[in-house]
Amino acid sequence: MTAFDTPIASAGAVQFLGKETAYWRLRIKGASLLMFTLGLYRFWFATDVRRFLWSNTEIKGDTLEYTGLATELLVGFLFAVAILVPLYTVFAIGALEFSPRAPLSVAAGVVLIALLAEFALYRARRYRLTRTVFRGVQFEQHGAAWRYALYAVLWWCAAIVTLGLVYPWAQASLQRFKMSHTCYGDLEGSFASKGGTLFLYGLPIWLAVVGPILFAFFLLGTLIDWNTLDVAMARGDQATLAFIEASPGFRAAVGAAFLCVAIAATAAVLLYPLFQAVSLRWWISGLRFGDLAVTSRLKTGQVYRVYLRFILYILLLMLLTAVAGGICLFAVSELVGPRHDSRLAELLATIITVGLYVVIALGASTVHQVVVTFALWRLGLQTAELSGADALNSVRAAGLPSSALGEGLVDALGVGGI
Amino acid sequence: MTITLDTSPPLTPDSAPATPCGPAIYFDGTCSARHDVKVEAVADGLRIVAKRPAGQLLDEWAYAELRRMSAPDGVLRLSRCGETLLARLEIRDPDLIGAVEDRAVTLDRGGVGERRLRRKIVALSFAASVSLFITAIYGVPELATRLLPLVPVSVERKLGEAVDKNVHSALDTQHLGSAFTCGYSAGELEGRAALDRLVGKLEAAAALPLQLRVDVVRRPEPNAVALPGGRIYVNQGLIDQAQAPDELAGVIAHEMGHVAARDGTRVVLQTAGLSFLFGMMLGDFVGGGAVVIAARTVLKSSYSRHVEGAADGYSGALMQKAGGDPHALGAILARIVADKDHGLAILRDHPETKDRIAAINAIAGTGPTAPLLDVAEWSALKQICAPLPPRDATGGRTK
Repeated sequence: MTAFDTPIASAGAVQFLGKETAYWRLRIKGASLLMFTLGLYRFWFATDVRRFLWSNTEIKGDTLEYTGLATELLVGFLFAVAILVPLYTVFAIGALEFSPRAPLSVAAGVVLIALLAEFALYRARRYRLTRTVFRGVQFEQHGAAWRYALYAVLWWCAAIVTLGLVYPWAQASLQRFKMSHTCYGDLEGSFASKGGTLFLYGLPIWLAVVGPILFAFFLLGTLIDWNTLDVAMARGDQATLAFIEASPGFRAAVGAAFLCVAIAATAAVLLYPLFQAVSLRWWISGLRFGDLAVTSRLKTGQVYRVYLRFILYILLLMLLTAVAGGICLFAVSELVGPRHDSRLAELLATIITVGLYVVIALGASTVHQVVVTFALWRLGLQTAELSGADALNSVRAAGLPSSALGEGLVDALGVGGI
Repeated sequence: MTITLDTSPPLTPDSAPATPCGPAIYFDGTCSARHDVKVEAVADGLRIVAKRPAGQLLDEWAYAELRRMSAPDGVLRLSRCGETLLARLEIRDPDLIGAVEDRAVTLDRGGVGERRLRRKIVALSFAASVSLFITAIYGVPELATRLLPLVPVSVERKLGEAVDKNVHSALDTQHLGSAFTCGYSAGELEGRAALDRLVGKLEAAAALPLQLRVDVVRRPEPNAVALPGGRIYVNQGLIDQAQAPDELAGVIAHEMGHVAARDGTRVVLQTAGLSFLFGMMLGDFVGGGAVVIAARTVLKSSYSRHVEGAADGYSGALMQKAGGDPHALGAILARIVADKDHGLAILRDHPETKDRIAAINAIAGTGPTAPLLDVAEWSALKQICAPLPPRDATGGRTK
């Protein structure tokens, strides 16, 4: 850990000051409090985390400041509940009333939830930006969240239909929407990276992961006589088996298809860090504020190191919980004795199972947050180079008097637009 | 040159109570320009004095207005309360930080006030979660019971249809499709007729407000389930275990007890209540409904005994009314418990089975009873699941 804590040769303009050990402490403490408060503590936890990350992010000698309050998040959550409760009730009634037309209403529900989620993401981004202060001037985001939600859902549909080929342009378009509606004081944001660039970098990854799957479908389509198989299946299991016995092409095709899927899965796992590195570099290099331009010098090897470390920590966590769980179960079986079917034993077993589940889930999320998210945040900052940073020296606070406290109720979790 | 009436001339080390002062960085909130300033901690506040046009007073902040903002370690970042502009003052000099903290009580030195507030929040959240659990265990079932009479039978039937689809596909693990339900293909029709006769007798005695639909399904466990809306599934394994028609009738009557008490609908109401309490109010903090599962398990073990006992009592009364043997249910339960392999599944759902058997045997019998089906009908019912035509090597039946 100490080797990792030594600051990475920084481009100088942007730095992260916080220590990883401090972040571990913050995360572990927060996760344990989440457990005992059934998650109610999460508003305070999220605020602490943001304060830590923001105030340790230094740009040209000055640090960011997060001015958001936990109570604002709580109020925003209550707003969200107020909107979602009737919506879920309508869904429940709909599911009961229109069961014959269920597929349609399920699809409508999914689209509605997706729209709402994108809407909330955009407004949540606005909340975070308006609570970000740098050198006494705050960030701002305008633009209609429902328009963003509509764009986002349409782009996601297109990305799904084209098996991800359109994803780079979807990202470029959505980032452009976000950044061109973002400003720091009177400095307008924009996004300069092009979808085509990400496409070119991502194409080899796409070919390695999606290619084998497409090939598998191709094999299954050409090598198997589907018409005969249909007829055989209609005649019953016996005939289907006979068909499989009779056609060597079927076995070869199925075997090859399995191999292709295995290759695709392996490629996906091995290339995921590369994909992360490529997208992160592409995204950071596209950020602009007026004349200020960012270039990312993030190295792919650095991202691979992050994920290797993650795997190591997860294995360690699993080992620890397995040992702890074993000790718990042993202690309980000693305690309860031979009355295995008693209600006490049943209850204790449930408590241990649920407890282990919660510990593993929270532990894995904590490890991921520290070892991956935090590490990538820090790497992204420290490998960023700024040009035209003088633009930051004379930014005027824009628009209305921007009291960070005043926006509270309406903005929290971004549901004021409804 | 003007003479200023300053009581403590700067940079004189021997003047008695020296005004603490030091370098700081000041942002005025209208522009991002960085001002290197000198801060003087005078009697009633901070004087922010520019360094470049030396001595120019930029601002004066009273101690009572000062607020501490989040900052990296070793930096005191101040803002001014009630200010619409986001003016900031950043002090790094430890001596000056100490001096400012000494004078401004609002700054919460060492975060004592903040920590006290956090402890309060954690304690109250913990208390709230304990109260939620108690509500889940005692309040939700009680509420579901009170709401139950308000659910019309038509809604219950619709609910039953929705549940039935899920349950049917969940039970049919071997994907037998239409062959999963016994009694409809050639060779099974006589058994079906016998089952209809048995159920008809029980239904006539029970006079339920809704139509029962009883089916036998190809599952090996000796068990039966009642869904909302009068749907009852009897496993083939139960028919195999039953040695007399009244034993099977006793189990069906037990399930009818659940239908009559609308236990299935009550479970749906309870689950909805729990999902609402935990899923909605708390959010999904670990990405799974772990709390809902835990609460449901706790609920199940604390309530199933009462509910099963009531259904047993119903079965006994109904069997007497129909002229059958009210103790036959106890006999088949005892046999299932003795059969270790299959006994475990039913034990998990029905704790303290031995107590139940004792309670069933304690029901007062009224004189002689006659089996609800004759020998021919009973043997037809035992054959309600005709052996399936042999399938391929992979999908044969387990029993």
